[in-house]
Amino acid sequence: MDIRLLRPSDIPQIQQTNITNLPENYFCKYYMYHALSWPQLSYVAVDVSRPKKSPYDAPKVVGYVLAKMEEDPQDGVQHGHITSLSVMRTHRRLGLAEKLMRQSQRAMYETYSAQYVSLHVRVSNVAARSLYEVTLGFKNNGTEAGYYADGEDAFSMRKDLDYLREEALEEESEEEGEGSVGRDEGGEVGSAGRAGEGAERLRKVRVGRQLGVGDLVERSG
Amino acid sequence: MAQNPQQLPSKEASLFRHVVQNYETKQYKKGLKAAEQILRKHPNHGDTQAMKALILMSQGKADEAFDLCKLALKNAMKSHICWHVYGLLYRQQKNYEEAIKAYRFALRLEPDNVQIQRDLALLQMQMRDYTGYVQSRRQMLQQRPGFRQNWTALAIGLHLSGDLAGAEDVLHRYEETLRQTPPKSDIEHAEAVLYKNTIMAEMGDHERALEHLDSVRKSALDRTAVMEMRAEYLLQLDRTDEAEKAYTKLLKRNAERRDYYEGLEKARGLDRSKKEDQEKLGQLYHSCAQQSERIDAARRIPLDFKHGDEFRQHADKYLRRMFQKGVPSTFANVKQLYSDQEKKETICALVQGYLGEEPQTNGDVDQVSSGTTNGSIKPPMPDAATTWKLGVNYFLAQHYDYHLSRDLAKAQQYIDAAIAVNPSPSDYTYHMTRARIIKHMGDVVKASEAMNNAREMDLKDRYINTKCAKYQLRNDQNADAINTMGMFTRKEAVGGPLGDLLDMQCVWFITEDGESYYRQGKLALAMKRFQALYDIFEVWQEDQFDFHSFSLRKGMVRAYVDMLRWEDRLQEHPFFTRAALSAIRIYCLLHDRPDIGKSGGHLNGNDSESAADKKKAAKKAKREAEKAEQERKAQAAKKSQPQKAEDGEQKKEDQDPEGQEAFKIAAEKPLDEAMKYLHPLLELSPRNVDAQVAGFEIYLRRRKYLPALKCHLATLALQPEHPKVFEQSSRLRLALEQLAEPLPQKAQQVVEETFLSRVAGSKSIEAAVEEYFQQHKTSLAHVQAVVRVRQALRPSDADQKAKSVQDLSDALKADGTSLKDALDGLTLLQEMQISVEAREKYVSVAREQWPVATVFQRR
Ligand SMILES: CC(C)(COP(=O)(O)OP(=O)(O)OC[C@H]1O[C@@H](n2cnc3c(N)ncnc32)[C@H](O)[C@@H]1OP(=O)(O)O)[C@@H](O)C(=O)NCCC(=O)NCCS
Repeated sequence: MDIRLLRPSDIPQIQQTNITNLPENYFCKYYMYHALSWPQLSYVAVDVSRPKKSPYDAPKVVGYVLAKMEEDPQDGVQHGHITSLSVMRTHRRLGLAEKLMRQSQRAMYETYSAQYVSLHVRVSNVAARSLYEVTLGFKNNGTEAGYYADGEDAFSMRKDLDYLREEALEEESEEEGEGSVGRDEGGEVGSAGRAGEGAERLRKVRVGRQLGVGDLVERSG
Repeated sequence: MAQNPQQLPSKEASLFRHVVQNYETKQYKKGLKAAEQILRKHPNHGDTQAMKALILMSQGKADEAFDLCKLALKNAMKSHICWHVYGLLYRQQKNYEEAIKAYRFALRLEPDNVQIQRDLALLQMQMRDYTGYVQSRRQMLQQRPGFRQNWTALAIGLHLSGDLAGAEDVLHRYEETLRQTPPKSDIEHAEAVLYKNTIMAEMGDHERALEHLDSVRKSALDRTAVMEMRAEYLLQLDRTDEAEKAYTKLLKRNAERRDYYEGLEKARGLDRSKKEDQEKLGQLYHSCAQQSERIDAARRIPLDFKHGDEFRQHADKYLRRMFQKGVPSTFANVKQLYSDQEKKETICALVQGYLGEEPQTNGDVDQVSSGTTNGSIKPPMPDAATTWKLGVNYFLAQHYDYHLSRDLAKAQQYIDAAIAVNPSPSDYTYHMTRARIIKHMGDVVKASEAMNNAREMDLKDRYINTKCAKYQLRNDQNADAINTMGMFTRKEAVGGPLGDLLDMQCVWFITEDGESYYRQGKLALAMKRFQALYDIFEVWQEDQFDFHSFSLRKGMVRAYVDMLRWEDRLQEHPFFTRAALSAIRIYCLLHDRPDIGKSGGHLNGNDSESAADKKKAAKKAKREAEKAEQERKAQAAKKSQPQKAEDGEQKKEDQDPEGQEAFKIAAEKPLDEAMKYLHPLLELSPRNVDAQVAGFEIYLRRRKYLPALKCHLATLALQPEHPKVFEQSSRLRLALEQLAEPLPQKAQQVVEETFLSRVAGSKSIEAAVEEYFQQHKTSLAHVQAVVRVRQALRPSDADQKAKSVQDLSDALKADGTSLKDALDGLTLLQEMQISVEAREKYVSVAREQWPVATVFQRR
């Protein structure tokens, strides 16, 4: 298995993985919107050990994380959001989801100075909740009643990305001969903007294919 | 939009501005109202008519829009607005050439109009007219050099047209116009700088690229990319010590990236194929693996290069670790090694050995974490002995199911053993594999049932739901499959579950559904699905359009360029190829058997039924068709109120759900229709042997002998032993011998030189085919080729047919014959329209080989 950045050419396979695993699906353009707006944030797990069938085999995507930055954060704090995550049943419990998430989180922090990352998860989704809460250290931030199309509630979760600051400093201090320069964090630090967080409800992604890219934005409200 | 010659009084002029505004904000109703208000007083005002046309177009009224716009142009030939709108209408219809022409007209009237220039440039990019794009972009830059977008856009145009130095220069000049360095948080700038760096590298100047990269490293925001580029440049420049450090650092961030390991090996100068490097490689990966318990790659990769005893030891450790932890994907992770006979056997022996073992409970495996932090979330782990037993039996089941080590009886035994110890009533993994094994035995009925059982173990899981639908399709339960899928599709989707799957571009379902209809001889429906797939690729192609402007605004240039390059080769995707090949097969069939086209695309699997049966069947089909038609009309009447999509466009009901209308049209000129599938295949997937084979079939039928020859030669070059090579060369020879009039002299010369003089030899086709048969009689695929040539020579020779049936049946018995070849053989016999008895002769032999295979059961 190879964990690497999502490339546009992976999209058909990612779309297939998504619609195989999850009921929340998107058309190609919505994946493109992610890949071309925040190209650093989404990752795929590729099965590199499949024997080739033709010279044009598409890399077999067995897992992906589709991520974005919140465009107009209500709380005014830069943060990332996980749009979708899934791993094929045949490749679960290999640690892929965890690794995909970690790559994405770091990129959110490094490229966009994200302070935290948020996501929604079905309250009944034991595997995913265990991944988020136990393995990755997300905190449950409350329930959103009837968030999913079938009426199920969602937990709204988030995780602070502070820990990455230390990691970054460590990495930099390791670079011999180069004075380490702290990152320019901008104004807000830590939990400054967290109080203002209101219950966000994402409008469901619209389905018309003729929509412009601008229409693809998930809006709060 | 600027001034126009047909001046309006100030009240109407302001109304006109509203119309434009309304259009831009998609308030179509308001816009129409205002336009009509103007037109009441000034009925011949071209610009207003044009704007109205534009709004009509947005509402989906294309014909009306075009009529009105033409009228507008008559009234205002010299209005750039009218021409601009005319272009926009064409662009909506995806007639890009006409759109570009109209824009050019508009620009001639209004050379500095930014909006028109922009729209023109967008289309030029969409059409990959780089020369035109660069020209447009140069003008736009001259007019507004203050915008970074204008510089980047020009650079992209130059870059893609191959002028790398020019592109770099433009980016550089922009940087020079900046009075101060943009703040660190300026992601657009940071991205442009990295873009420039990739161009330097693309020019092959790694020295300069590295220097530049080091100078911008601190301010770059895409840290991963910078580190990767740097490592790569260092390696290119042979600065191996530094490269090694760079890759080590990268691995610390992502220990599952295969490229990094490759880079590290190269930096160390290690070569997997060299014996003397083995030890160092082993050490390298050992130390990588020590970094963390959770790394897989560093533990797995050594299995690729180790051999013999070393391999056995390492595999033993690797597999034990996986089985102790209980990783169900272990087999998926090692099956690639099976192409090496020795490794395959070693692995099998090792795992067989584990069957008798009880695992040690300690070990360095993190079994302990269960329930520690949040007991309510983590379900309890099964005990160590169960985990072990389950994993080992499951592995062996997959091992014996895999085509390189297949023994389906054993596979079944092991999967039953795994199921017996599976403690979870909802973990369907093992039941799923059970269904798969049954499928490989050819019993698609039972396989579908078994997969449905697996599905019922976990109704909330879409993965198993998907699998179940797929198996239902394999068993031609199309209605069941769509119902199964419907458990997870959006309830509000127009057109039900199928409508949602089409909307969500669910490629696999559409393809499998089409293939299923094809198997059943329902060609119209099959074709409809393949057309749907073709359309999805069209949509994907069109999807890029908005990004030509969006990405310039966002500034994520590298991703944009990457996307363009992908779009250029979009139809190279195996998803496309698979559907295209199936579609082409149908078109060939329609050409060979025009009667099918006339019968509405129903091909009955069994052609040898009696005339009376045929009549009866035809009557029944007619009755069914009438009934369906009535139902459709009733449905349509019920839904005369079409559902409104959220964005105001109306989603139309499918007027031809059975694909009959489209099929009739296609059946008239099947070979012309086939070209739209064939062109992308030959252009983008020329090294795919199936594409070349399909090309030959189409071109030969079209009597295009040179292109047919080209495909044939390509097949020959790709796979000289491919059974189609002989078949096609014989059929081509035959076709050339039977020409009504000789080829043009030049063509004849090419044929002589590249084909006849080489392949044909002195033997007659008849003699050659029997000789070929003698050499290949134990390969069913090759015997099929022989039979096809014989059929081409003497299509209605009964004795020859009988011999062919015999030869095919004999070849069936040979070792290593696959179920797929056996099925293809049956299809061939059906195409030959043989008798029921002859068919049964073949099938009874097949039944001995695949006793439970559904297709070979008595009907
Ligand atoms: C949730 C999902 C993405 C996890 O993928 P994965 O690659 O198997 O997860 P990982 O191997 O990285 O698991 C990491 C940790 O998560 C937890 N976890 C994962 N699957 C679990 C399961 N079925 N039960 C309990 N815990 C689980 C474990 O703590 C695990 O660590 P461990 O293996 O060392 O015990 C995957 O199950 C999936 O795709 N499910 C369907 C789609 C979905 O629900 N997506 C999430 C929507 S919000």
